[in-house]
Amino acid sequence: MTPPVSTPVLSEPIDPAALPRFDRADGPDKVTGSGRYTADLTLTGMLHAAFVYAEHSHARLLSVDTSVARSMPGVMSVLTADDVPDVRYTHGTADRRLFAKDAVRYDGDVVAAVAATTLEKARAAADAVVVEYEPLPTVTDLEAALADGSPLVHPEWQSYDAADGVERSGNVASFSSIAKGDAHAAMADAEHVVSGRYVADASHATPIEPRGVVAQWEGGKVTIWSSTQVPFAARAGVCQTLELPTNKVRVIVPHLGGGFGGKCGFHYEAHVAALAQAAGRPVRLVFTRREEFLAPDRRREGMIVDLTTGLRSDGTIVARTAKVLLDGGAYMADGEFFPQMAAMHVAGPYKMDHCHIEASLVYTNRQPSGSVRAPTAPQGCWAVETHTDELAAALDMDPVAFRKLNAVDEGDEGCVGQIYNKIGLQDCIDAAVAAVTPEGDLGEHESIGVAIGWWPSFPGASGAIVRLDDDGQGQIVTGAQENGTGSVMTLRQLAADELGLAPQDFQIVYQDTAAAPFDGGSSGSQTLINNGRAVVAAAGRVADQLKELAAAELEASVDDIVLADGAAHVAGTPTKSVTIAELAAAAGGGALLVASGSEDPPEYPELDTEGGRIACIGDQGVAGWAGPQFSCHAVHVRVDPDTGVVRVLNIGAAHDSGTIINPLAALGQIEGGIMMGIGQALTEITHYDEAGNQLNAGLLEYKLQTAADTPNVKVVFIEPGADGVGPRGAKGLAEAPNVATAAAINNAITKVIGTPVRSLPMTAERVWAASMGVDEGSQP
Amino acid sequence: MSFAIATTLDQALAAIADGARPIAGGSDLVVGARHGKAPLPESLVAIDRIAELAEIKAGGDVTRIGAVVNHARLMTDPTVVGNYTALADAAALVGSPATRNVGTLGGNIMNGSPAMDTGAPLVVMGAQVELQSTGGTRTLSIAHLWDAPGSNTAAAGELCTAVLLPPPGDRCGSAYVRLEYRRAMEIAVVGAAAAVVLDEAGAIVNARVALAAVAPTIIEVDGIEDLVAGRALDDDGRAAVADAASSQASPISDMRASDAYRRHTVGVMARRALDAAVRRALGEEIAVPVNRALGIGAA
Repeated sequence: MTPPVSTPVLSEPIDPAALPRFDRADGPDKVTGSGRYTADLTLTGMLHAAFVYAEHSHARLLSVDTSVARSMPGVMSVLTADDVPDVRYTHGTADRRLFAKDAVRYDGDVVAAVAATTLEKARAAADAVVVEYEPLPTVTDLEAALADGSPLVHPEWQSYDAADGVERSGNVASFSSIAKGDAHAAMADAEHVVSGRYVADASHATPIEPRGVVAQWEGGKVTIWSSTQVPFAARAGVCQTLELPTNKVRVIVPHLGGGFGGKCGFHYEAHVAALAQAAGRPVRLVFTRREEFLAPDRRREGMIVDLTTGLRSDGTIVARTAKVLLDGGAYMADGEFFPQMAAMHVAGPYKMDHCHIEASLVYTNRQPSGSVRAPTAPQGCWAVETHTDELAAALDMDPVAFRKLNAVDEGDEGCVGQIYNKIGLQDCIDAAVAAVTPEGDLGEHESIGVAIGWWPSFPGASGAIVRLDDDGQGQIVTGAQENGTGSVMTLRQLAADELGLAPQDFQIVYQDTAAAPFDGGSSGSQTLINNGRAVVAAAGRVADQLKELAAAELEASVDDIVLADGAAHVAGTPTKSVTIAELAAAAGGGALLVASGSEDPPEYPELDTEGGRIACIGDQGVAGWAGPQFSCHAVHVRVDPDTGVVRVLNIGAAHDSGTIINPLAALGQIEGGIMMGIGQALTEITHYDEAGNQLNAGLLEYKLQTAADTPNVKVVFIEPGADGVGPRGAKGLAEAPNVATAAAINNAITKVIGTPVRSLPMTAERVWAASMGVDEGSQP
Repeated sequence: MSFAIATTLDQALAAIADGARPIAGGSDLVVGARHGKAPLPESLVAIDRIAELAEIKAGGDVTRIGAVVNHARLMTDPTVVGNYTALADAAALVGSPATRNVGTLGGNIMNGSPAMDTGAPLVVMGAQVELQSTGGTRTLSIAHLWDAPGSNTAAAGELCTAVLLPPPGDRCGSAYVRLEYRRAMEIAVVGAAAAVVLDEAGAIVNARVALAAVAPTIIEVDGIEDLVAGRALDDDGRAAVADAASSQASPISDMRASDAYRRHTVGVMARRALDAAVRRALGEEIAVPVNRALGIGAA
């Protein structure tokens, strides 16, 4: 393998200008506007789709009359639950149908779908569908939802198929606990006990591109163009709900305009495919911004966290108990692991001999929650890291010193029985604090807050094909999905390094389930670690082919052939060489230079649960972490005490995400994750009415951060050199920067106003109210 | 639906007399239609290419700002920045660079949103609005232009052609500040403008304060001069102005803020606007907009 061209220093605040250039293959298309997104596609005879959504957030569905809609001019198909196979889907618990059948459970439930010759006709026909409802009491309060006698969102939950280990009862869609030692006895013996309640509102992924789907049938097969982050999961959903074999469904993703988790999972591909089949013509669905806010089952979950921690006077954490309620919304989506993941985040990356944490994902009549970038982590981290500063304050300890004392390091055991290998958390704390500490004094009403976070890596199955054509130019055919992070684009670098070529010598064929082997999609920060493994393996096999050809051509041993700078040469004798283009031309008339790679993914660590010392109920496999990532964010803020407005001035962010393969792309992920974190921290409040309907489903009132709000960000990468699960020792990356920001901001606010804010987001009004002593953490 | 482009004022007035709605930047009309607020009118006449509506004329006993002067120009024009600074402060906070390059002063005031940024500055600076129709021209005090949220008192057939401001005097200063949650694409949570005239000793001769987003229309705070005139601005004066603004406000609760929070913060904004106006009148250079220069709101 050829090493990277230059080795930039990443262990000090990074100067982006000093980093190696990264030529993104998709860059010119996106920057010039020549790139095509799903909504840009037009097919001959194409129809336009519109949905009929539920008019109540909870109601019995008595009748759906489509007769008027069907007779309207230009209307080519109208579908309801009666027109598709009666299949309930969703892996964790099969609690959902494509179209609502007996009941509607949130305002984004789809009751019917229409395809017509124009969008206006489709919408008019959707408006003409007459639906009769019997309203039912709504469930929106997480604590009331668990009480005896609460109305049930899914009264028939016991009849649903569920995955192994999903613990359910009533409105609890999934329950998990982490129990280690004897937390209650240890708490009773603790010298100091601190309790707090922390309440996080729901928030949204809010990709720039609202989702689109185009479907076309030909010869009994359907091709679906979809703005999905996970084309293979989308295909699986279509196959399950329309009862089709995988080889009759092809999902292609044109350029994707962001996702942030919001476009993970299977969404509307089957609706559009079914409309196209019924109409006998291609159909296109493009969401409005309002639909993008309200309908998808990928809202970031609201959360109530009650935390109690016992301490020794020397600052050591001896026990932690916690209860976490997560607003799951009306359907499971992919939330079955949320309680266990939330429990891990509420425990935090701390040494702890005794803990007992219970977490419940609660069904409500709100939009379903699902994986948005680092699901459960920013809220859980915000709660526990706000709590951590309260712990330090109770002992009059410096919060940074408190963290350094209690945070896990090499050889330590955290809340579950995982012994951590060499990790960079302690170095992250030092580096982040140093990056943001000014030389002089802080200004008036300014302070610095610190928080640490963690997040796993997710090894999984993934495949790719690498080939060199007869001119020596390469193609990478990959199942991986580019979500804007640059991870698929970085595959060129990996292949090029294996083959002694330049990244620009490769084109990437991607985002097409019919062309490439399986990949898990842009989900769980897994693309580069898993598909990178596949590409390195495939390119390595092509490299072996080249070396054999070169050895014959140069009359040398295969073991002595080196691939570099576009040629194969004999080690120690650079003049004895043949270009890769020449070898490729020869192979083009023979065996062809093509290979696939997949390889078994690295295994997840086993937890030491010997003797019942550790007991996890509702285990969803997210307690033992492969390639654990660690981070520390130190945030310098200014608070306007008269209004509660918080301005983030500077952030130091230090991350252990293993070996950084592409520093410039990695830097972009840290900066973007921080901006998403600031929005979640300060402005991205979701307003609901009493029935659970979102009121601010638009970009004016759902306030994302803008480019003008961006603070100075200094990034440091700590590369401890162990526990990597991807090429060159890489771990995941893109979710980790979205973990600690909000927590660090609260700890900075606390220093200015004298009290933490107990509701997330910490809007200006909430900060002001907290400073006046009237914020108690309101229900999400 | 019909769409005409007028190149002269007479063409525009004739079209409007026939029932056309004027459109310049379209940043309210088109965005509103897309959000389902109101459908686009059946008949539109574009007025953005009428040269005389895009002029800023100073000198003599009135300064005239044409109705289609956009916000990007208001925030940089030397006459506006130098003499009517509160208006420049306000224009600089509107939307984004794209919004400011299409959105016009006439459009902002005729749209009549109680949260508009340019309205409070124009009130404290004593602006008149010029309305023209095929029947003639009239002017009215800008405070009489608004009668309800999203509504104005212009008659059918009348077009706002200019905003008229009194000539600048010595030792004058003005400022507009607003509460905002982010630095771009934001709408005022509350806002306040102040304009002052000082004597040679620095005592306040004349002071006015107006408020945005705390009543059905922009409102002027009564009795400001009684609170601060005759002496240099002091802490008692600042506090009294804040109290007056808070007590005269009649805010609503909505997604952006509760009524109590609006009532409190509009006092803070009024105090800060007055403070910045006095500092400018004393000759201090505070860059446009005050929000960014002094770190107010999301600055």
